[in-house]
Amino acid sequence: MNAISAALDGLGKAMMSYVEEMGRILLLFLSVMAWMFRPPLKARNIFKQMEFVGVKSIFVVVLTGTFTGMVMALQGYHGFRMFGAEALVGSTVALGMTRELGPVLTALMVTARAGSAMAAELGTMRVTEQIDALSVMAANPVKHLIVPRVLAGVFMVPLLTVVSDFCGILGGYFVGVHLLDINSGIFIKNITKLVDLGDIYNGLVKAACFGLILSLIGCYKGFNARGGAEGVGRATTEAVVLAAITILISDYFLTAIMF
Amino acid sequence: MVNISSEAKVGLFVLVGLIILGYMSFRVGQQGFGLKNGYTVRAVFPNVAGLDRDASVQIAGVEIGRVEEIQLQDGQAVVTLRIRPNVKLGNDAAATIKTHGVLGDKYIELAPGTNTQAFLKEGEQIQRVESQADIDRLLRQITLIAADIRGVTSSLNKAMGGERGEASLGEIVENARLLTKNLNALVVNNEEALRFTLGNARQLTDNLNRVVVTNDAKIADVMDNLKDASKQMEQTFAQLNEITGSINRGEGSLGQLVKNQETAQKLNQTMTSLQEVSDKINQGKGTIGKLINDEQTARNLDETIKGINRYVSKSEQFRTYLNYRGEYLFDKSDGKSYVDIRIQPKEDRYYLVGVVADPRGRRTVKERITNGVMTRTEEWEKDGLLFNAQVAKRFRNVVLRGGVLESTGGVGLDYLMLNDRLKLSFEAFDFNSDDDDRAHLKAGMEFQVFKHIYLTAGWDDFISKRSNSSPFAGFAIRFEDDDLKYLLSSVPIPK
Repeated sequence: MNAISAALDGLGKAMMSYVEEMGRILLLFLSVMAWMFRPPLKARNIFKQMEFVGVKSIFVVVLTGTFTGMVMALQGYHGFRMFGAEALVGSTVALGMTRELGPVLTALMVTARAGSAMAAELGTMRVTEQIDALSVMAANPVKHLIVPRVLAGVFMVPLLTVVSDFCGILGGYFVGVHLLDINSGIFIKNITKLVDLGDIYNGLVKAACFGLILSLIGCYKGFNARGGAEGVGRATTEAVVLAAITILISDYFLTAIMF
Repeated sequence: MVNISSEAKVGLFVLVGLIILGYMSFRVGQQGFGLKNGYTVRAVFPNVAGLDRDASVQIAGVEIGRVEEIQLQDGQAVVTLRIRPNVKLGNDAAATIKTHGVLGDKYIELAPGTNTQAFLKEGEQIQRVESQADIDRLLRQITLIAADIRGVTSSLNKAMGGERGEASLGEIVENARLLTKNLNALVVNNEEALRFTLGNARQLTDNLNRVVVTNDAKIADVMDNLKDASKQMEQTFAQLNEITGSINRGEGSLGQLVKNQETAQKLNQTMTSLQEVSDKINQGKGTIGKLINDEQTARNLDETIKGINRYVSKSEQFRTYLNYRGEYLFDKSDGKSYVDIRIQPKEDRYYLVGVVADPRGRRTVKERITNGVMTRTEEWEKDGLLFNAQVAKRFRNVVLRGGVLESTGGVGLDYLMLNDRLKLSFEAFDFNSDDDDRAHLKAGMEFQVFKHIYLTAGWDDFISKRSNSSPFAGFAIRFEDDDLKYLLSSVPIPK
């Protein structure tokens, strides 16, 4: 009896803490929104974060994008060959990349690279009381630390997604046309015929949402880190896991709304 | 790399990203390129199963639009098609739903129609719709056909089946056998004769063929000639009919002649002697006979007639106008008259020759050099006539003229309006009349009131320094003169 009530109690507590966490993240989001439009905006800070989130992630994103496209072409080819529709491989790769894999994989890669770094950085600042020092100096830490990171996430992830889409299609083209001998004209014609502008743009809207999610969660986890080096490590792990889960779940709902 | 600022790196990255995005959008967006400002037409189908929005609309396999909307109306599917603006559909265009691709995509194939005059406009409906060959209906039709076939076979069965049918069939076969046997015997017995006949026939057709081929052109000529001849005969007969009719009624002297017995007798005699004469001529007796029977004469005659023909047709082409024109000069209280002949060999070109009676008269300038000093004397001869000789060429509504205007060199420009009824004209001549006067400029208009009557008004010599300028008004008479034309054309012109 006692065990059951203890289990229920734990479940309730976990539930409550989860809900509380959601609430706090939302509040942080609101305060980020509020501070975002309050001058002065430090352009230099924003560019630095953009460089970190965007430019330095290019390599990773190009690599994942290319190989995803290549493997999709390969798998699609084996599937379509069963009923002689190899020509559709190109459009499958292009549609998959622009609608789904481009935004999601990019967001996951950026989470792993930049979201974790944000959590670690802010966590370290928190446990070494640098954030408290900022507050003491009457410099709002949300404005100085979180707003640039969120902005960088929202703007850079869609751009990285564009790169990822393009590399994926190129990879698919390479595998399809050069390795699997699909006619290149038909490959490209099917892409341009079946892919709409809407597919690309909706993918980018998704990517912007993912950028917001991963930067917000990374900052939140770091900002609220407690307990020394161990706390920083935990915050980083939690940030990556939570951000990845949230991205995948929200992906479903965003897709359901858009397409 | 160290010196590049993070701003520059981010900027470069954004640029590259946007370029790639732009490229992809362009390639993908090409499909619907120009479609947004296209026009829509509607087509009503009984069944559009499988057709979706954004399905392709094609002509001859080339995509020219997309399906914009599918709606249900009165139990039928109304499909709205958006068509590229540069594609025009005749109002007899036809639409069909077709299937292509492994996945069985449905699309709409249009036949653009043959009418190049009336095109379908925004919102109009394609009248001809061919419904698709859907499997259900096909099966239904096949069922009907199968039923028909069964009917045929069952009646055949009735006719042929049974012992009686079998016996009659056997009889037929036996008869056929006998027939072929007899035929065979016939052929064998007469083999020689048959071969001979066939050979002849072949030769005959060969000869016929040769005759026809070699005389092909001639036959065509003969046919043409016959056609011409019959046409002329027809006319001649009509005229003859008229003449005989009037003769019969006793009209005219011939009629009276015919009706009168005495004259008839005389006529008969005349005819007899005429007959004798013509017989002689025919035999080549006498001068006339020789002339007529001589080939040379006939040829000469032919050429002469041809020459006359050429001459007449040439003179018929060109037209001649006589023109009188009187102008009253208000500031001088005097009149100025023009008489012209206008010869118009072609529609857009004419020559103008005429005389002008100017109140100032004709000016003659004499220069005399005495002891190295040049003296100039000007004389005005009051009764002197001035001359016009101009060449004119028409370009649409504008006529350019040039030549001698009022006895001096000059040019003119006419602008014709209202189907040539109104003419605005401007003339400039007498450029170096005397040292202290300017060129003679004249501007005026001429309006055709009746067929041959024109009213005219304007301003003569309007930049004159010698108070020669004057507004004027007057009238003109102009008519086409055929007699003059023939007179002119009979003047021998060296070729």
